Amino acid sequence: MNTFVQRFAGSSASKELLAGNASITEDEDFSDAAWGSEAGFGSLARGVPSFMVPSVPDPASFLRLHTDDHADPSCRIKIQHGTTTLAFRFQGGVIVAVDSRATAGSYVASGTVKKVIEINPYLLGTMAGGAADCQYWETYLGMHCRLHELRNRERISVSAASKYLSNLVYSYKGMGLSMGTMICGWDKTGPAVFYVDSDGTRLKGDLFSVGSGSTFAYGVLDQGYRWDLSDEEAQELGRRSIYAAGHRDAFSGNTCNLYHVKENGWEFIGNYDITTLHYDGPGNVAGSPGHGYGYDLRVEGHSSANPPPAAAPVVAAQA
Amino acid sequence: MFLTRSEYDRGVNTFSPEGRLFQVEYAIEAIKLGSTTVGIRTPEGVVLAVEKRVQSPLLESSSIEKIMEIDSHLGCAMSGLTADARTMIDHARVTAQNHAFTYDEKIKVESATQAVCDLALRFGESVHDEDAMMSRPFGVALLIAGVDELGPQLYHTDPSGTFMRYDAKAIGSGSEAAQSELQDKWHKQMTLAEAQKLTLRVLKQVMEEKLDQHNVQLAQVTPQQGFEILDEVKLKEIIEVM
Amino acid sequence: MASLAHPQQRQFNPYSENGGTILAIAGADFSVIAGDTRQSEGYSIQTRYAPKVFRLTDRAVLAVNGFAADGNMFVKKVKQRLEWYRHAHAKDMPLRAIARLIQTMLYARRFFPYYVYNILGGIEEDGTGAVYSFDPVGSYEREACRAAGAASSLVQPFLDNQIYFKNQRPAPGTSHPVHLPLPTVLSIVIDSFTSATERHIEVGDGLEIYVVLAKGRNLQGLEGIRGMQELTVTEDGERVFVVRRELKKD
Repeated sequence: MNTFVQRFAGSSASKELLAGNASITEDEDFSDAAWGSEAGFGSLARGVPSFMVPSVPDPASFLRLHTDDHADPSCRIKIQHGTTTLAFRFQGGVIVAVDSRATAGSYVASGTVKKVIEINPYLLGTMAGGAADCQYWETYLGMHCRLHELRNRERISVSAASKYLSNLVYSYKGMGLSMGTMICGWDKTGPAVFYVDSDGTRLKGDLFSVGSGSTFAYGVLDQGYRWDLSDEEAQELGRRSIYAAGHRDAFSGNTCNLYHVKENGWEFIGNYDITTLHYDGPGNVAGSPGHGYGYDLRVEGHSSANPPPAAAPVVAAQA
Repeated sequence: MFLTRSEYDRGVNTFSPEGRLFQVEYAIEAIKLGSTTVGIRTPEGVVLAVEKRVQSPLLESSSIEKIMEIDSHLGCAMSGLTADARTMIDHARVTAQNHAFTYDEKIKVESATQAVCDLALRFGESVHDEDAMMSRPFGVALLIAGVDELGPQLYHTDPSGTFMRYDAKAIGSGSEAAQSELQDKWHKQMTLAEAQKLTLRVLKQVMEEKLDQHNVQLAQVTPQQGFEILDEVKLKEIIEVM
Repeated sequence: MASLAHPQQRQFNPYSENGGTILAIAGADFSVIAGDTRQSEGYSIQTRYAPKVFRLTDRAVLAVNGFAADGNMFVKKVKQRLEWYRHAHAKDMPLRAIARLIQTMLYARRFFPYYVYNILGGIEEDGTGAVYSFDPVGSYEREACRAAGAASSLVQPFLDNQIYFKNQRPAPGTSHPVHLPLPTVLSIVIDSFTSATERHIEVGDGLEIYVVLAKGRNLQGLEGIRGMQELTVTEDGERVFVVRRELKKD
């Protein structure tokens, strides 16, 4: 396990990674690492996480049997799933926008999920797929970015950070991890967005959307995207795209979280309720259209749900 | 001093009849050959200063690195075999990051120091199938400065794996003179600026060369700014008012 | 008798579901964590008193729900790690640190999960009440309130209404309170469980409500509550109380 990480990790880390590998097969408790300076790091003792695996011929199918609610809605352990996320690169940096709904089967498990993971002050990751997989590995990535910074006296590039993550999850390929993420930041090369997923895909690009609502988000995003978007226009495009996904995709919704990555790190722009966006718009913020995103106000009572009053019936009074 | 060293000073894991580990004691001696390093704790933060020995005019003095960052709230200055310190500091960095990852909080200064010291005694023979990590004790002493919920703190570690907390401490070749000077001048309500000046003044007394911004390095850890190494411009300003 | 001539398929199924419900609500300077005490398997009740809520420290209480054997083992291991931390760092683990620890412990079993839904409640370092909720493999979030377990889909909508005032407009000139007072929260908790007991077969028998009070706060009406008992160990710190009530047993 973790062979790639071990082979390519920097300097003295490789030593600890090797030691960590040795402990994977061991029982989780009471290794020497439980005492001394690794005391209390538990599964992380010796530098690299180790995982308990059931003693069955095919651990991945065991996991699928109990946790995959797509294949079997009656499975016991319902792992939370994330849904619409997007990020795009433009003249003024990177816009990252996500929804906040988590579903377990058809139940809305949470409407306040933070799907943007603040890896460090100048790197953001998004969450789609298994919530825990994204949260855990992106936090873990943050730790290694910091070590890179300390060892090399310079910030890690977005490219290197995303490659670290993709090598990491690739080493668990087939074990059942589920994550589709965008690693966004600004480095020496300027704004950068990388798509990384648990299959091992890693793509550099200008514009990505991930999750069940991505098709809806892409519709708005592709139509409004330009490289020379102003900051205000770009933020509005991000909001508007997530709104579209929240509106049309049942697994997306609740609120939209918007971030803007600039040269000196990311900035949280705001949290917007999807329903409020529909009726009233984002309110008094830069780029706001000043009204709701919903088309109701453009049909002026001509919709079939609310038809125009019929002309007064002609009463055949005369006989 | 070493009247009965005889055969007992060769093995790193053999006590002498009077209960001494000579190799460890020699390692402590090695530090006294190192450049002088001074640390001062004040209520406003901790200051670390170290003498850079620029042995040749052709040597690029900025490449001598004797103060290193462990984490944003932790710094470290070294004296002795500085190459050994790299291993220890990398261990401290990894431990600090593992702690932050596991507990979502900054590691305490004492815990980081403890982690470094855990490493110090891992010399000697290998335990079961593990490869022995080190063949000899580390020949370096560290001054670890940091700020945590208990306020600014300064720790000293030596090759025996012992660590102690100090208000002010000097290590290296000029440490004896420097330590007595610190004892005279240190007081409880010292400001950070006073501490900066005192560390440089102490270094100046024990240095053979004339002290300037190229042959000393000064760093500080404060609750507001965390760890920072002062650049030559700032250093020059302090040297001028000293 | 099964014939060996036919092909047979076997699956490793180490999990069971033991019912019950837990919930937690954070106040401004307190936190309430509660759970029923019924433990069942299928349609039969195994015991009427199996605690699901546990005091970890004077400032942290953990509620576990799902598969009881996994839950009990998990609590045991969390307590062990808290003890180790106390020896290594000479202090009690802060609440947010416990939350992160629980994430790493759950995630260490990513490929062989604990079938446990965790809710952690308590007081943060800054003195505010907090609730953290977890999924079985460790994704977590700080929230104001959360219900989990068998009747979560009955209780959570009630909390959304009573705590978050979801989809309600305040009367003109007023606003919804950000934090509710302790007595109000306690009655919401009790009502949640009596109602869940009425409508869910796996909920009932007994109710344990833990209350964690921030340092130096008065009892805020807790002194008048029937069946209240203090569990605090350390002095001059946060205080922990438990209120035990009966629920219907049919």
